[in-house]
Amino acid sequence: MSDAFVKLSGLTLGYGRTVAVPALDLSIREGELIALLGPSGCGKTTTMRAIAGLLDPSDGTIEIDGRDVTRVPANKRGIGLVFQSYALFPHLSAHENVAFGLRLQKLPAEEIRARTEEGLATVGLTGFGKRKPAEMSGGQQQRVALARSLVMRPKVLLLDEPLSNLDARLRLEMRTELQRVQKETGITMVFVTHDQAEALALADRIVLMREGRIEQLGTPADLYARPETAFAAEFMGFENIFRTEGAAVVSDKGRLPLAAVPQSPILAWRPDAVTVGEGPHEGRVAAASFAGAHREYVIDSALGPVKADAAIELPEVPLGGTIRFDLPLATARGLAA
Amino acid sequence: MFRNTREGLALALPAAIFSTLLFLVPVGILLSEAFRGSAGGWSVQGYIDFFSEPLNRTVFLRTLKLGLLVAGTAAVIGYAAAFCIVNLGPKTRGKVFGMVVLPLMISPVARTYAWIVILGRTGIVNEAITGLGLSDTPLRLLFTETAVFLGLLQLFLPLMIISLVSAMENIPRDVIPAARVLGASWIEVFFKVILPLTKEGLVIGGTLVFTGALTAYITPAILGGSKVLMLETLLYQRVNVSNDFVSASVIAMILIVMSFSANLLLKRIATARS
Repeated sequence: MSDAFVKLSGLTLGYGRTVAVPALDLSIREGELIALLGPSGCGKTTTMRAIAGLLDPSDGTIEIDGRDVTRVPANKRGIGLVFQSYALFPHLSAHENVAFGLRLQKLPAEEIRARTEEGLATVGLTGFGKRKPAEMSGGQQQRVALARSLVMRPKVLLLDEPLSNLDARLRLEMRTELQRVQKETGITMVFVTHDQAEALALADRIVLMREGRIEQLGTPADLYARPETAFAAEFMGFENIFRTEGAAVVSDKGRLPLAAVPQSPILAWRPDAVTVGEGPHEGRVAAASFAGAHREYVIDSALGPVKADAAIELPEVPLGGTIRFDLPLATARGLAA
Repeated sequence: MFRNTREGLALALPAAIFSTLLFLVPVGILLSEAFRGSAGGWSVQGYIDFFSEPLNRTVFLRTLKLGLLVAGTAAVIGYAAAFCIVNLGPKTRGKVFGMVVLPLMISPVARTYAWIVILGRTGIVNEAITGLGLSDTPLRLLFTETAVFLGLLQLFLPLMIISLVSAMENIPRDVIPAARVLGASWIEVFFKVILPLTKEGLVIGGTLVFTGALTAYITPAILGGSKVLMLETLLYQRVNVSNDFVSASVIAMILIVMSFSANLLLKRIATARS
């Protein structure tokens, strides 16, 4: 197991004069399932395309398995890439799509046939070989695209938003599928996503990106519980983020006192970390929705809107009604400025 | 779209009458001439006579050769140009595409005369050659097959580029990068992905260019003259100089058959590959 199976050093990427990724350093371990997470335009897809060799870096190096591949063209890198659009060849059957790369390697016909069928079986599409992409559902097309990459036995498999085009049910199915394939093959996988739930559920480690830089890198549990910046916290579902001033939290709208002087310049609470129904503060219910196990309130307070989840046992407060709440220091996550 | 087919047919009627009366009927009359025997009745004697004359055979083969060469060259240049255009940013792309289309808005006569400025005895090329001392006397560049080839290529290349650009625009995004990542060299990308996915555009472009090159009159007349006769210029000679309407009709028939067979052949090749 290598600790830097894929190693990006000072990787600088841009389109024309705009720099999308300035000097990125990242090491990916062998056999790891890593997520590049971030909002659109954060450079995650650009980084992935560079690893695949579809984009020439203006500076820096890319090493894979100890070999510098920065100047190696895409067709000689031995990397798999599953595109967000699947990018199946519309003029070829599922079988021929999967066999495409093997045929280019001029392998014996029997081996191509066997590996292609094995690939289709791996993604549960045995018997679908004769279908054209247009005759398959989105989920099936995606699995063909996955099989097409897997049969090449790539050193690294890159996946661009692998679940974003699928409906909720297929998404869950594909997620389990990816994890199973990864376990079975032990392949190093890097996937790009803008959906933090997807990253949290799938990845061994998450690389949270912002404007081409790594905002935070860690395990899902790490990122979920201990975001370090306001950006990371917001991405991880801390919907109430406020600056502190002495023993108070402040916003553009106003301030609310805290029980003590906090140590951090910024404090963040998830909606479920806000106390509802009791506490020193008061606000009006601006929005309320029933979410099964709890009720989600948007409380119009001196700070502006505060998002809070209330236990379902608590009496329902109607829209416009007064509600008491607290921002307890104990449940707050302190963030760097 | 229509409540019944009758309504749709009614709308197509003016166009149908127009093309029947003013196109199909005269063409029919002309072509029947091509099978008129000298003693009346039907006969293919016109064709036998036509092909037994060596000059006619040369002109026929030259027309076929130049048509194929122009279409083939246009396809090669066209693919390169279309690939560049499709990969340009939206702004530059509009400008470059405009430049490709622009020549189509200029009269073929003007475009052909421009070649005289370039290839004539005192034209740019000859000035350069004599100026550089590569030759003492100006070279004869006009009234050669090369001149006709260049003129025709320049005339019809835009049609090929337009056909191929629209075909390439329909290639799904990421399919080419996908082929690259799977190990395809650029040549393999072309033959295994781009060509099969743009063959309809190639058939349309190829037919337009080949047919255009066969039936162009002005360009071979000006750049080839009577030294490099093509079927079209020969046809004109037969009508206006020798008043020989039978062989003129025969030539017209040959041109039509060549155009149709080119289209059929290209279509056949396109479907055979898939």
